Amino acid sequence: MADRTRRGPRGTFRAWRARRPFWGGLLLALGGGEILLTEKASLKVVMHIGMQGLAGYLLPGLMALLGLLLLFNPAQRLFYSITGVLLSLGTWLTSNLGGFFIGLLLGVVGSCLAFGWLPDQEPRTGRRKRRRRARALAAREAEGTTA
Amino acid sequence: MASSPDVSSTGNTPENPGSGSPSEAPSSTAAPTGERRGRVRARRAAVMAVPATIVAAGLAVLTAQGALGVQFAISGMPFTVTADELNGTGFEQFGGLDNMADDSPNAGDTGGQVLVVTSAIKKATLSKLCQSVDLGGTNLRITAGNGAGKVTASDLTTDSTEMSGDAAFNNIEIGNDASTLTEANAKGPKGVFSQQADTVHINHLRQTNYATTAGVFKLPGLKLSFSDKAC
Repeated sequence: MADRTRRGPRGTFRAWRARRPFWGGLLLALGGGEILLTEKASLKVVMHIGMQGLAGYLLPGLMALLGLLLLFNPAQRLFYSITGVLLSLGTWLTSNLGGFFIGLLLGVVGSCLAFGWLPDQEPRTGRRKRRRRARALAAREAEGTTA
Repeated sequence: MASSPDVSSTGNTPENPGSGSPSEAPSSTAAPTGERRGRVRARRAAVMAVPATIVAAGLAVLTAQGALGVQFAISGMPFTVTADELNGTGFEQFGGLDNMADDSPNAGDTGGQVLVVTSAIKKATLSKLCQSVDLGGTNLRITAGNGAGKVTASDLTTDSTEMSGDAAFNNIEIGNDASTLTEANAKGPKGVFSQQADTVHINHLRQTNYATTAGVFKLPGLKLSFSDKAC
């Protein structure tokens, strides 16, 4: 386990990552980016088509934005992740079947990860460790009942 | 409950006050533990993941039944569209130049510009549509309209480099200025040759496209797959 006294750039990044839904935000932003990559029609064409064509860019653009917001303003993560999942699903209709499904998948997974993220959790313990602790607890309880 | 005796942690409180509302953090009054990090709780994530999956599946099914239209906007990579039959009303065609994104890897020796024929069809019905994008090694293939339901598209605008098929036009006007077209919703630049027709019927359509924009497609019998062979 990393202790807080170590202050390398990696340690700093680790600590920074620990305070926000890092993977959720990253995946959502990447999903939005991927969808934008599959479109990249010139803006002139989009302007010509009007609102309907613009939606194809608006949705993935917002997805990328929400992903970044999740990283830099994690306090509002519930709103961001719920909006993010709705936008991700919406891109199926507006933007090349959600960037041929890949971007949609990234966006939905990212939003779910961000939604399920909670700050300030117990450190992860291995299964073996957990089992051992449970056994110890059971043993102690058994002792208590016999005594 | 949880205690790992090997670490004497000083920073037990999160450093960033903005990281989440404290009410949601379970206030476990455990003994000094290791580093406390934010984590994804699986059950919480599932609360959103399950409905999202259901909605995504629903969208896919509705699209495959042809009940929902989907929009395409692709450009910069060449892709092939084939169809057994195309019937359209409101047809326009004119020449133009497509610009690729700067430093596009697809540019090659073309200087990032492709000479294209822009075709716009206001309402089109296609049977046995197949669309494939070459991803280098493998092709992303979308097929639809193989069964009874036909693919319908509205305001379909494609920029093609190659187009072939057996075509029949009704009330065709050839040699208009591209900026004066009226049949579909696209207009070309001034001084460019163009043609338009009331209706169009093309058998064995085959197009190599650089861009499709704002075509709202209804794709009954949609199938999305990766395949070795293109359309």
